[in-house]
Amino acid sequence: MISDLAKNLLHCKQGPLTRELLRSPGRFGLGQLPVRKQPDAVTTTTCGFCGTGCGLNIHLKDGEAISLSPRTEYPVNLGMACPKGWEALAVLDSGDRATTPLLRDQAGKLIPVDWETAATTFVDRFKSIQKKYGNDSVAFLGSGQLPNEEVAFLGALAKFGMGFVHGDGNTRQCMASAVTAYKQSFGFDAPGYTYQDYEESDVIVFIGANPCIAHPIMWERVTRNRNNPTIVVIDPRLTETAMQADLHLQIRPKGDLSLFYGISRLLIENDWIDRDFIDSHTNQFENYQRFVQDFSLQRTVEESGLTPQLLKDVTRIIAGGEAVSFYWTMGVNQSYQGTRTAQAIINLALMTGNIGKPGTGPNSITGQCNAMGSRLFSNTTSLFGGRDFTKKEDRQEVADILAIDEGDIPSVNSWPYHKIMDGILGGKIKGLWVICTNSVHSWINQNQSRDILERLDFLVVQDMYHNTETAKMADLVLPAAGWGEKQGTFINSERRINTIKKVAKAPGQALSDFSIFKLLAHYWGCEEMFRQWTTPESVFQILKRLTKGQPCDITGIEDYNMLDEMGGVQWPCPDLGSSYAVRDRLLESNQRRLYEDGRFYHSDGRAKFLFEEPRPLSEPTSEKYPFILLTGRGTAAQWHTQTRTKNSAVLRKLYPSDPFVEINPADAKKREISMNDWVFVKSQRGKMKATAFLTHSVQPGQVFIPMHYKQTNNLTDAVFDPDSHQPSFKACAVTIFRVGTY
Amino acid sequence: MNKQLLDANESKESACSQTGGELIYQLLQEQQELTAVESFSRLHSDANLPAQSKYYSSLMPSTPPGEGEQYAFEVDLDLCTGCKACVTACHAMNGLDEDETWRKVGLLIGGTATQPVMQHVTMACHHCIDAPCMAGCPVEAYEKDPVTGIVKHLDDQCFGCQYCSLSCPYDVPQYNARKGIVRKCDMCSDRLSASEAPACVQACPNKAIAIQVVELDRVIEDAEANVFLPAAPEPCISYPTTTYKTKKVFPRNMLPADYYSVTPQHPHLPLIIMLVLTQLSVGAFTVGMIVENFLDLNATTLMMPIHATGALLFGLLALGASTLHLGRPQYAYRAFIGIRHSWLSREIIAFGLFAGTAVLYALSSWLSVGVFPEVTAQLPILEHGNRALGWGVTFTGGIGVFCSVMIYVFTKKVYWSFVSTGFKFLLTATILGIASFWAALTMVNLVTGSELTESMLRSVSPFLGQALIASSMIKLFFEASIFIRLTNRQNSPMKQSARLMIGPLSSPTLARFATGIFGGVALPLVILGQQEPFREPHLLLTAIEMVILFLALLVGELLERYLFFAAVAAPRMPGGIRS
Repeated sequence: MISDLAKNLLHCKQGPLTRELLRSPGRFGLGQLPVRKQPDAVTTTTCGFCGTGCGLNIHLKDGEAISLSPRTEYPVNLGMACPKGWEALAVLDSGDRATTPLLRDQAGKLIPVDWETAATTFVDRFKSIQKKYGNDSVAFLGSGQLPNEEVAFLGALAKFGMGFVHGDGNTRQCMASAVTAYKQSFGFDAPGYTYQDYEESDVIVFIGANPCIAHPIMWERVTRNRNNPTIVVIDPRLTETAMQADLHLQIRPKGDLSLFYGISRLLIENDWIDRDFIDSHTNQFENYQRFVQDFSLQRTVEESGLTPQLLKDVTRIIAGGEAVSFYWTMGVNQSYQGTRTAQAIINLALMTGNIGKPGTGPNSITGQCNAMGSRLFSNTTSLFGGRDFTKKEDRQEVADILAIDEGDIPSVNSWPYHKIMDGILGGKIKGLWVICTNSVHSWINQNQSRDILERLDFLVVQDMYHNTETAKMADLVLPAAGWGEKQGTFINSERRINTIKKVAKAPGQALSDFSIFKLLAHYWGCEEMFRQWTTPESVFQILKRLTKGQPCDITGIEDYNMLDEMGGVQWPCPDLGSSYAVRDRLLESNQRRLYEDGRFYHSDGRAKFLFEEPRPLSEPTSEKYPFILLTGRGTAAQWHTQTRTKNSAVLRKLYPSDPFVEINPADAKKREISMNDWVFVKSQRGKMKATAFLTHSVQPGQVFIPMHYKQTNNLTDAVFDPDSHQPSFKACAVTIFRVGTY
Repeated sequence: MNKQLLDANESKESACSQTGGELIYQLLQEQQELTAVESFSRLHSDANLPAQSKYYSSLMPSTPPGEGEQYAFEVDLDLCTGCKACVTACHAMNGLDEDETWRKVGLLIGGTATQPVMQHVTMACHHCIDAPCMAGCPVEAYEKDPVTGIVKHLDDQCFGCQYCSLSCPYDVPQYNARKGIVRKCDMCSDRLSASEAPACVQACPNKAIAIQVVELDRVIEDAEANVFLPAAPEPCISYPTTTYKTKKVFPRNMLPADYYSVTPQHPHLPLIIMLVLTQLSVGAFTVGMIVENFLDLNATTLMMPIHATGALLFGLLALGASTLHLGRPQYAYRAFIGIRHSWLSREIIAFGLFAGTAVLYALSSWLSVGVFPEVTAQLPILEHGNRALGWGVTFTGGIGVFCSVMIYVFTKKVYWSFVSTGFKFLLTATILGIASFWAALTMVNLVTGSELTESMLRSVSPFLGQALIASSMIKLFFEASIFIRLTNRQNSPMKQSARLMIGPLSSPTLARFATGIFGGVALPLVILGQQEPFREPHLLLTAIEMVILFLALLVGELLERYLFFAAVAAPRMPGGIRS
């Protein structure tokens, strides 16, 4: 006994510190876990960062989340998660959380107030603005981070209950071009793929997408492909994904549209096209064929910046594939010609018959966790369920389902995001309600957008964190519960709907956005209209009814429990008469793709070939601004404006804390810039300071800055795609010089 | 929909008739109710086989390691795309502290304009065959499992000296200030023993990390051929067992993304104080002993107790300061355990002996020359004994300084080479020894105003002053010689140290040279150049100058030691982009 004690004093192998990290057999099929972190129950949820929509196990103790792990048996992520998913709970616990409503006082300081004051102020201020300037003088900006039930409640409350005419969401910044492209080409916004397609292709083409970093779990699915696929990456930068490619086409920025037209011409010339499919399922191919005749090899080479050999190679690879799938994301969408570029990709898939079959498709990768849901249910630029505000029959249908007066539904479409910003600038819009997004950081040409928001009479920001760049400008801050603290459903990139659950307590007075909407409806005096909108799940039932008969029909889904049990359900999932029939079908296969019958959503069932003459860079380089600035994701540990990810101590270790700019060594040498030098990057609109990172991964004449740094949008140029109204974040003209040399 | 939810819905239907205040109260209450467990079917709690095993079974060895083998990480670089899921999974599945991570992901870049290469690299502990963390640990807080080869840290044994962090070429042991100990990857040994995969292996979306069994001989052979990882620390230092495999042929210019960023290292303030003051103490004793040899008994009688006590005080202060460096100083007594292999243990024991003998010597000096001078004068044996004890103090102190030197030499960093470290420590002892002795003598002279001390000063000052100038100049030149490295083309560790000194550490560097020149050259020249500096009316001024000289040199050496820690650079595993 005493000798043991003495031994321990001298050499202690077991003790409190050792026990702290001891692992013990975990139950619930989780494997070993630290003793301290043993759950007494486990539930599942869907990750709330990106559009991949990974399934997560939430480890609970006394009903509260203590940890999480990726779901093994989930058709999306197959047991894996990226750093953001692993740290999803950590970001909830932060001193930056908004815990009480804040109201700007006479002295200009945001001071805590109670909910009663906040709700009354909200109602009084907006109503007085509407009274003075009309209903179209107020607007809201929502988010692809909100679950369906909340985004729908927001859209219904603001437009039907409060009389707002204009509202849009941050999805305008990420998915609008894909949405418009699908709508115009297929007749409905419906990406047709299922993630299983990553595993079944023999040729995979990524365009303006870097899944290794931006969607690591989608890349996981590529690594599971057993066909040894040929991987083509089309990107001006040598990204992580490009490093993994068999063929990297390092195109000139915005040279992609000409490239796809050039490839189309080569495919036609060599008769490497699927005539049968074109003839039976598409329209306007003849026009397209004629149009691409102008894209000779020489022209395509000039405009894309590639060699003739590379062009021929990529054409041969696409033509030779049994199952070719195309994936694109922000490199395509965030462009002044994003819609046409996405449609050029769609054209390639259509003309080669690569659609509706396993391993094929022109597939857009969604940015945010519920971008897809907000496309269907945000009730902003399109009416609920993919309908049209301007069509009376659509309005009547929605009015009937919601048991409201048709006259309460605006008969005009909302202005898109940039028109709302213009409206504020022009003095048309005086009051703005920003929910779950950080416009001041994320909107293009930041100096101007700050100036615009300063002109508002009344700015309300509803957010998890009280200190986002936008919240700091607000007149009223409403504290919101975050992912993990509320219920709802998300729809991921492959159209899979699944639930999110309430597994953590919101701090202080924070309320779920759902509850905030309910509260505001009460104070506005329109709660009668939302009698049925009692809980997220009851709203889910309403949303089901709104999809009935639409391409996105989900009436076959019974309730949240069914989603949970089935591992999510992809739309469409129409009512088959009984829930057993639906379940049986889902149990048979939980992977579904659209267009298997070659029918599209235009009234004639055919897809359209859409095209347009490519346009030169919106802001060409000049002597004064000789570089093209590319922007994009920095690391897998960062999410957008970082309001959440910067609150995890672990994630913070995984990315450079201060801005850096990637520059080609040849350019750096000319400008006497060495590795890690402080430099200024300057555009016509603003400048920022960053450290130089010299790398051949950017081409000479181009520089790259991650979008997560708030200074980046000081530089970008407010140019928009005319069809989708999406900002063109990806290319503008800048100059760069070492600090102290200008 | 289950019943509970229906009930809830019904109760909420009535919300319309509520007042605003009631509604707010109700919504706030609801927000705090967690319903996930009640509302949804739970995962079956009886599933024992980890579900994830179906993905990682192919990443695990089929048999445990045999004789001459051990477990090791195998990283397929062709699959590592830099998502860093492994870092967060390790953090979450092992219950690490908020900002604690045991895995890192770095980036190598290289190639040419037409063939650029970018390679992410995931890394954790390499469970080395010859682990320097273990060899350096003074308290034997590391064990290498004889069967699995896993290098395991014993958290409860650690007293937080962080010497393992300095010794590990891969920067693996992470100091946890809140707990006062280091912690590190144990390859999830509990999981491995239950045939489960480590967290990182389970969590890599691309299956880039696996566990394999390696032959130790093979690891050593590979290390000798240096096929570990481009630009990584020399594998022969420790024989890391991780295998980085790739089908690619890396270009010769592969460099870490953070190759050109230099970051000052942790300065370890208590260590700075400890090193400088122990060296001062040993130096002062030694100078005292040497000077005594040249002086007559009377002078010794006066000086010996004073300088012995002064030196002892500095020595004790130094030892006290050194315990502040420990995360858990209450376990300082464990320090001797590692004497067979740890220079840190040896240093602590040597300085312990030094302090002990110095106390005895100080006591005997006071007794023999202060209290009973007559007795001592009658019995020369006492005086000889005392002197022998004095040399004993000097000797143990010298051993202590040697151990201090070896602590840093052991880490195999060029900046901390034997020659460089030895030279610096030795000269610090010399300079501060001379300065403290000279200043002490001057102060005694000021206080007593005796003829004896004045004559002593007059006879030793030219020698002390010149020795001080010479040793200061030599040391400063030696330290400045690192700047020659700035002309190197290659960004060698020594050049990185020099860049740190002219870059982020330029202020302490300037201050270091300024104080060194001022206290070690300028002031001694002034003092030596004065007319009768040790006699009234100049005595007070000289004494003030002497105090300033001593303080300047002390500060100068502290700054030198600050740079010794802060400016160290060594080959390291690749890091990410740093801004």
